[in-house]
Amino acid sequence: MSMKIKDIITPFSAWSNIVKKPVTVKDPFTERPGADRYRGFHKNDVEACIGCGSCEAVCENQAIDLVPVEGIDTKKGDSGLRPLVDYGRCCWCALCVDICTTGSLTMSNEYTWVSDDPDDFRFIPGVDKKPWDNNEKGWTNPGYSLYNPERVNMEEIEPDERITNFIEIVKGYSKEQAEKEADRCVSCGICVASCPAHMDIPGYIKAIRDGNLEKGLQLLYDTNPLPEICGRVCTHRCEEVCSVGVKGDALAIRWLKRYIADNVPFEDYKRILGLDSLPEAKKHIAIIGAGPSGISAAYYLRTMGYRVTIFEAKEHPGGATMYGIPKYRLPMEMLEQEIGLLEEMGVQFRFNMMIGREVKFDELYAAYDAVFMGIGFEKPYLIAIEGEEGPGSMQAIDFLREVNEGKKPEIGNHVAVIGGGNVAMDAARVSRRLGAKVTVLYRRRIVDMPSDPEEIEGCEQEGIHIEPQTIPTRIVKDEKGKVTGIEYLKAEMVDDPKGRRPKPVPIEGSETILEVSTVIGAIGQEAYYDFLSAEWLEKLKLERGRVVTNENMQTSIERLFAGGDSVNSTADAISAIADGHRAAKGIDVLLSENE
Amino acid sequence: MIQEFKSSDDILQFAIGREQESVDLYTGLAETARNPEMRGVFEQFANEERGHKKRLQNIQSSGQFSFTPKQVQDIRIGDYLVDVEPHPGMSYQEALIVAMKKEKAAFRLYSDLAATVSDQLLRSLFSSLAQEESKHKLRFELEYDEVVLKDN
Repeated sequence: MSMKIKDIITPFSAWSNIVKKPVTVKDPFTERPGADRYRGFHKNDVEACIGCGSCEAVCENQAIDLVPVEGIDTKKGDSGLRPLVDYGRCCWCALCVDICTTGSLTMSNEYTWVSDDPDDFRFIPGVDKKPWDNNEKGWTNPGYSLYNPERVNMEEIEPDERITNFIEIVKGYSKEQAEKEADRCVSCGICVASCPAHMDIPGYIKAIRDGNLEKGLQLLYDTNPLPEICGRVCTHRCEEVCSVGVKGDALAIRWLKRYIADNVPFEDYKRILGLDSLPEAKKHIAIIGAGPSGISAAYYLRTMGYRVTIFEAKEHPGGATMYGIPKYRLPMEMLEQEIGLLEEMGVQFRFNMMIGREVKFDELYAAYDAVFMGIGFEKPYLIAIEGEEGPGSMQAIDFLREVNEGKKPEIGNHVAVIGGGNVAMDAARVSRRLGAKVTVLYRRRIVDMPSDPEEIEGCEQEGIHIEPQTIPTRIVKDEKGKVTGIEYLKAEMVDDPKGRRPKPVPIEGSETILEVSTVIGAIGQEAYYDFLSAEWLEKLKLERGRVVTNENMQTSIERLFAGGDSVNSTADAISAIADGHRAAKGIDVLLSENE
Repeated sequence: MIQEFKSSDDILQFAIGREQESVDLYTGLAETARNPEMRGVFEQFANEERGHKKRLQNIQSSGQFSFTPKQVQDIRIGDYLVDVEPHPGMSYQEALIVAMKKEKAAFRLYSDLAATVSDQLLRSLFSSLAQEESKHKLRFELEYDEVVLKDN
């Protein structure tokens, strides 16, 4: 390769600049604007910002701190904190802008700023007003992300095939898929607050990224002893607030939890969780009900060294998860595996033992050091319309229990399900699998339905028709008492006088009869307290049918603790699990104080 | 049989009697309720009825009465529910149904009476009472909507 003469001369031509005056000396008072995409001082749209802290985490110079701001409160999906930038540390690399999950953090192209107060150079963009706040030029989120905004697709059985069987719909992530999905997490942790059990979600997702599933399992069990179940049927409120979900798809947190639980060999659980040598048994706790809250309480009490006996009225453990959730969402063996772990830990199960029938509550309370009550919501609210009694009309929880027990209730060719919660969706989808055409009648709009959106989507995929704004008025029967239809009125929505969700009001003259063979009611449930004598009921404080507890899940009866659906208003497995954990700690505190 | 009313005092006396009947009903239910929570619910209902009675007595003693017709929302939840015979083991759902039905019956009674009298003052008083009862009904229906119909 030969060198040209120009290549030799060019470096020397730069010396000609040595005799020129620098621009700043020649023209010190003329502002020279930064280039359009210059990375100058920060701006932040504090209304759009959710205080996720990704900017703080990515900054290698530790130039950003998330700090509280007056007037911005912590709320669901918003930490209430906002970034404070220290320009003594900032190197203007803009990684904070590039990773910003909401796109609220940007950089103006302003680079000139004079102040004799060094503290001025630490400020909260968007809160501490600056001259460049309305500067439109500068560095904004460039259209690419430092994370992948698209969720790794979860493989599912096709709807046409699904409705022919009860095989689990969701297939689960492979190692490669799970790691790819885990890689999208920005580890902001904003999800942790919205999880009733406050699981260390960023921690177990990181464990997947690191390929350390044993660590992941330990983190799951720190706050949730039923990850196999929650990895399948959790209401995943964490995903609703996932910061990555603001501009892209929320992390598939639930599926990642399932991935860990499914991919650690069950025979290794005890070793990994350190359950081989539990503390010496001390006091003895009775648990009423082997549902998620009771199992959770039992697990944590046992790890603290308590002896635990669970009294369950039914033949199997699991409560609503065993009897209420269809197998296509939660295969039975998952539950059995997690129960098996408790048995190996020494938790005693006594099935077919109903309190008040086989054993009195008085005896239990006298014989044990403390009692935890996780009795669930077993009593359905009736639709309370004409014709509800008799064959052809049933309650969803009874119907679902029978199907999970292997029975095949007679439902005919067209089922009307009344309600819009997850129980209603389960009843509808199970009816479809039993071969019926299904119509869901719901009083409000689809957007108001309390069920998980994916359940509504699942219904639609499986050919279930949801008829919103319909108010059932009577169940129609023939002369032999057989259900032939359901009459309903169409409804219009009116504002609630107290500003709550809009109320459906029937439209005069809109009576319609839908021909159906079965009506399944799924409007809600409440708890049975019949097992308690009048004397105990007198002492137990209830409010609108729910047991009132303090923050330790302690009831108005000193050594009686409670949790799950009969206590919390969210009525889902993860809240029940969280209640059980809190109650275990509460029982430990009480009994330790009394020692 | 529709009762004869000759004066506003007659009407108020009748309405006060109705409210007292409600107080007695809920007090009786509170006394017989097996569940202490339901006892509290019925006591609360009885107290509300006492409050209604007191208002009527105040109108009676002061002679002061003003009525501004107002549209009270009717979400008609109680209209299609089957009747519940009050019993000691009533659930919260059943108690609300009893209350909704009772308030609706009172509303109808006063509305019918308002339609039958020609005296403007009496009509106004009946209409006012009907409006009060419809507010009471709405209160129970909103509670039913929030608690019982949470998933529907």
